[in-house]
Amino acid sequence: MMALICLGLEGTAHSFGAGIVTDDGKVLSNEWDMLKPAQGGIHPREASRHHSDLGPSIINNALEKAGINYNDIDLIAFSRGPGLGPCLRTTATMARTLSLKLDVPLVDVNHCVAHIEIGCLESRFKDPVTVYVSGGNSQVIAYAGGRFRTFGETLDIAIGNMLDVLGRELGMGFPAGPIVEKLAKQGTNYHSLPYSVKGMDLSYSGMLTAAKKLFSEGISIPDICFSVQETAFGMLAEIAERALAHTKKQELLLTGGVARNNRLTEMLEGVSKRHDVKFHRVSPPLAGDQGAMIAWNGILQFKAGRTIEINDSQVLPKWRTDEQDILWRT
Amino acid sequence: MEELIAQGAESVILKIERWNQYFVLKWRQSKPYLFKDIDSHLRKTRTSRECKMLSVARSLGVRTPAVYAVNLGDYTILMDYIEGTQFKQLADTLTENQLKEFCREFGHSIALLHKGDVVHGDPTTSNLIVDSKFRLWLVDFGLSEMNATVEMKGVDLHLIQRTLETTHWELQESMLEATIKGYSDSLGKEAKDTLSRMEEIRERGRYH
Repeated sequence: MMALICLGLEGTAHSFGAGIVTDDGKVLSNEWDMLKPAQGGIHPREASRHHSDLGPSIINNALEKAGINYNDIDLIAFSRGPGLGPCLRTTATMARTLSLKLDVPLVDVNHCVAHIEIGCLESRFKDPVTVYVSGGNSQVIAYAGGRFRTFGETLDIAIGNMLDVLGRELGMGFPAGPIVEKLAKQGTNYHSLPYSVKGMDLSYSGMLTAAKKLFSEGISIPDICFSVQETAFGMLAEIAERALAHTKKQELLLTGGVARNNRLTEMLEGVSKRHDVKFHRVSPPLAGDQGAMIAWNGILQFKAGRTIEINDSQVLPKWRTDEQDILWRT
Repeated sequence: MEELIAQGAESVILKIERWNQYFVLKWRQSKPYLFKDIDSHLRKTRTSRECKMLSVARSLGVRTPAVYAVNLGDYTILMDYIEGTQFKQLADTLTENQLKEFCREFGHSIALLHKGDVVHGDPTTSNLIVDSKFRLWLVDFGLSEMNATVEMKGVDLHLIQRTLETTHWELQESMLEATIKGYSDSLGKEAKDTLSRMEEIRERGRYH
């Protein structure tokens, strides 16, 4: 029997991606492009224009790389939320059009859940505590009682956003995370910064303000980067450890764009050693926002019997991780 | 005698016998993955804070273990051993009325802290102990703070809501309702501001 082929479209924020995955878990292609603003942050409307301008050619490239035709697609999955409204709507429109045109079912995927499931596919983890860190999200999530539940998250800004804002202040390009990581290696002096863990939640805004202040006081940029990484990642590692101790789960998964950071990875490895649990960092091509994760989640959901009618498929910008019944895990 | 009763995220809880009596020795261990300055700073400030806040909470009328000794050299606190069960483990076994009664009591304790401008900082159902006489004890004050603002109190309430939705999902609605009732009844008008802040906080940290 031929494998089921799913095209997944991701477009919740500044990246647009198209991925093609089969139901035996093979990623046939995973094409994407990220909008890099010349200055300042991401404007939702500009990002959605980026998606509608580049989307069709990215989808074509994905098909070409996978070596398939449009008629080979059995299923279309799209990121329904959470995310920026204009970006979600543009992506959903492409998905609906393809579903109608090709006459194949449409599946609505939760972006955060998709990050976890693609990580489980890669690591073969069954039931991890997931640390999901990106430009827009910093969450510690685990499965409990039929849903993925957020055990902890940021109370203000996400880790990636914090690094970008700091980077702008320090005169770095976008995204700033990789530059901060590189410069932090040259830092030698630790400057104390507010460390704010509240239960299993954390807060970065006070630390960001204090880091900016260090800059105005003439502290060297490498020392600031070093101090920020140690503090910000230490907080994340601590809430991950709290979630592990609380849930008693045996696997720890790191995913999202900021998973590319080696220092954060090292710290979470340290957490996993302390609790004697398995650890996996999702590989760079599958860690950031991309279509393969949407496609894979689409397959899981489709096989559990969940598709969506076009009329009911309006986007959900504030879709919480714990608002979806995870049918394929029950 | 020394018996390990819990290995938490940041500490080891030992039950020990001294002077013909049981005590708890809470030891904050080193976390090798943290930068050493941060690690020692956290161990020290949390140990001394916990020691102080257990007494502050007690003076506000909240049932907490009494502290007998603190050692900032090895980051340990010697305190009362409470013979009992974590509320987290008990919740499923209670009748609906018992459950609501404990939740109201929980809300009442948090209100007493908030009235004194103190937040607990980690108000989960793991940090509530029910003793053999069905009395509720509040423990683990390492993240507790004084001079609390409306924002800090709102976060405290948000953390309660979070622990209910992640750990007691089947009972979360009635538990939250009873906890908030106990909180509002004790705090009166002041509860309105902190409860609306709780709702506000819930919406943050997400895309808009």
